[in-house]
Amino acid sequence: MADASLFRLSRRGFLCGAAGAASLAVLPTATLAAGSGDNRLVVLILRGGMDGVDLVQPHGDPGLVALRPGMALSPDADLLDLDGFFGLHPAAGDLMGLWQAGELGFVHAVASSYRGQKHFEAQDVLETAEAEGKAGRTGWLNRALSLMPRIGQRRAVDITAAVEPILSGPNLVDVWAARPDRPLANDEMHGFGDLFAGDAAFAASFQDVANAGPGGLFDAAARRAGLIEMARQVGAMLNGDYRVASFSLEGWDTHVDQRGQFPQAAGDLSAAILALREGMGPAAWSGTIVLALTEFGRSLRLNDRGGTDHGGASCAVLAGGGLSGSGLSRKTVMGRWPGLAPEALYEGRALMPTGDVRDVAAAVLHRQFDITPANITSKVFPGLAFDGAASLLQAG
Amino acid sequence: MAVPTSILAARRFGYGLRPGETPPADVDGLMLQLRRGVAAKPRFPREGVAGRRETIGKMLTVRAVEAKAAVEGRPNPGLRQEMQAEVRRIFRRDALARMAQAVSSENGFFERLASFWLDHFSVSARKAYQMRMVVPLFEAEALRPNLAGPFRTLLRAAVLHPAMLIYLDAEPVSAGAASPLAAQNERLARELLELHTLGEDVAYGPGDLQAAARILGGLAVDSRSLDVSFRAAAGSAGDLALLGRNYADRAASAHLAMLDDLAARADTARHICTKLAMHFIADHPPEDLVAAMVAAWQDTDGRLDAVYRAMLEHPRAWDPAPGKVIAPFDFVISGFRSFERQGGEFSAVARAAEEGNADWRQAAPVARRGAAVEQPDVAYALTLEALARMGQPIWQPPSAAGFPDGEAVWLYAGQLRERLAWARLVARTLGQGIAPSDYVEMALGGAARDATRQLVADAPSRVQGLTLVLASPEFNRR
Repeated sequence: MADASLFRLSRRGFLCGAAGAASLAVLPTATLAAGSGDNRLVVLILRGGMDGVDLVQPHGDPGLVALRPGMALSPDADLLDLDGFFGLHPAAGDLMGLWQAGELGFVHAVASSYRGQKHFEAQDVLETAEAEGKAGRTGWLNRALSLMPRIGQRRAVDITAAVEPILSGPNLVDVWAARPDRPLANDEMHGFGDLFAGDAAFAASFQDVANAGPGGLFDAAARRAGLIEMARQVGAMLNGDYRVASFSLEGWDTHVDQRGQFPQAAGDLSAAILALREGMGPAAWSGTIVLALTEFGRSLRLNDRGGTDHGGASCAVLAGGGLSGSGLSRKTVMGRWPGLAPEALYEGRALMPTGDVRDVAAAVLHRQFDITPANITSKVFPGLAFDGAASLLQAG
Repeated sequence: MAVPTSILAARRFGYGLRPGETPPADVDGLMLQLRRGVAAKPRFPREGVAGRRETIGKMLTVRAVEAKAAVEGRPNPGLRQEMQAEVRRIFRRDALARMAQAVSSENGFFERLASFWLDHFSVSARKAYQMRMVVPLFEAEALRPNLAGPFRTLLRAAVLHPAMLIYLDAEPVSAGAASPLAAQNERLARELLELHTLGEDVAYGPGDLQAAARILGGLAVDSRSLDVSFRAAAGSAGDLALLGRNYADRAASAHLAMLDDLAARADTARHICTKLAMHFIADHPPEDLVAAMVAAWQDTDGRLDAVYRAMLEHPRAWDPAPGKVIAPFDFVISGFRSFERQGGEFSAVARAAEEGNADWRQAAPVARRGAAVEQPDVAYALTLEALARMGQPIWQPPSAAGFPDGEAVWLYAGQLRERLAWARLVARTLGQGIAPSDYVEMALGGAARDATRQLVADAPSRVQGLTLVLASPEFNRR
């Protein structure tokens, strides 16, 4: 356990908010007792709208091939079967070892309460779990920090700089500005391409940037390597003093050429999870849950640029030894599958949300940090009933 | 596209928009900035002009003492290294202060002119050890107070400053040369004629160059006090005749007379006016714009404020079509200005950057309390390192001709790559809580294209939305 003086100072830092930062910075770091109270949580925000139906494909649903001819994969060929009905996209195939070990889970057809199509608004709702437009937003992960009963667990690190809302709020969080020179994702490249299209001189220079290949700003291999290195270092930090970490993975806004772009993003996610595990080491990993969430899903039919547009539900990804022994480790894809029949679709075009993404987060917070259902449903996710989380956690 | 005059004024003639700062409404607003700027004290040198002279004096004295001791067999490498580290530290603080000056100033037009003249009278802090201390002083005392008055005053102040004389020092006279003539400074003479006054295209004879070199050879800088002295060159009338004027009988004021005559020549007016128009208006400015500026020059005997006004009053100055690609310093400064919501955002970056270095890419991860702006290595990467990577390190131009200018120079793949990377890093660092749609207004105002607004609104993340604004062609043109 942390000693009393550390507790007092940390408490003061917490109460003073940012003003207490200077005095805290020189403190020796907390050493934590091993054991059941030594759990870790990593929250990954998949920015851009991850296509959950592409990552975890319902090959048992006849609607899939009907909606996505030429894109739906088959377990007879490339798709990696998970439970006889769903299969994992092969770009994330390195995660199959975790699945077999009961250290990987998926909750399908979940969404936040946001039903619009704007990324920023949707991400705000996902990260703050507050109604849109509300002033003084705080991130739910930040709010959860003060409810963790063991003080040492409050040490949290925000990897993508302090810009993102999920860890912002009254509780102090450390910031690690990891490799800001990381190459950019495919969807970002397409965005720049469109941006420069109206200016011939810029368009020409940008063509050279986009085509620079190895060492360039859009070098996919270097991007992957950079992500792996970052995730490994985050894993090492979690093996040290930190108990909570969050960072973002971009590349999911696949309006263009989804078949080309999606495997890159899915591979990034898979590589990041495995690198976290490697950086952490087996002992820390055994008490860890990685939770990957996205702001919304995507349309099921391809658009005329070979991509998909915003909307509907997606799939939450869970990984880590901390899943073992709970209902989150049941080796079947979780959630209530709405089906892909035309009448079952959201707005006739996307996956119908049947579950609340907050249920997944609530289950994980309860599981990892013993935050009580009462606190979760009043302070972290006000207005949420705990039933959904409870049923996820129930072994079954 | 209708772009409000004030937006054009702030972007084309200043360092861009800054939240909370009212952009100049018209030509008079810009000219007011000019007058205010001349009267203002810049943020560098940190200890002020008089203080800096004192600092330099102390430093040069210590160095002379140490050098003498070394000759006598008692070297003090520790002292030497300590001094070098101190000079580096002071230089970095000054360079960051130059950025802060441009970011925070409400006199954008004046600040842009200060950069223009700094580039015109190009000197580099890399030339010699003491130059890291002297170049900021040069800008603060020789250029800024004189850039709105007669050109000849500015020319005298710039050319006769120790920074210029150290930068363009006389070539060492080869040993055993039989010439009885006083020292010649052919380098300074050539740059004075071709770069500072007449221009490269103007024909002058070898005799003209020799005469200027002999006269300028009489200038000397005291190595301890940095005082500049002039000793009239000995020579016949023919030796000291330049462009048909003879300076042999001008004795101790020959150098001043020569500078004044050069400043008054029509070629000089044409050269300077064309360069100003190319800098502010277009890579290929319209002939009648330059002619109007030259006419103002002639009417006022070379008053620069009149020349600037003539430029600003020409209709082409207010053509709303996006024009020149901005240089790296302008890009970075405009970017920082756009994030000054409370005021002081850049100050936090600059403070942190004093301690940063470029090793962060290799460094072990260290998470810190506090915002990303307070991370020294990120702050350094965003400021001095970024300018160096984009090819425009502060006070370190590549040659006496200054930094190159024009679209071909500042728009190519490597440059765009650096700008995209910078945009992304600054968005991640300073973009907290900014809605990208608000940011379009903060950074571009009415200059934003509809297509850009739409892309920003649809960006896959807030960071990417902010990045797109900074990367946009309209942000990178003025």
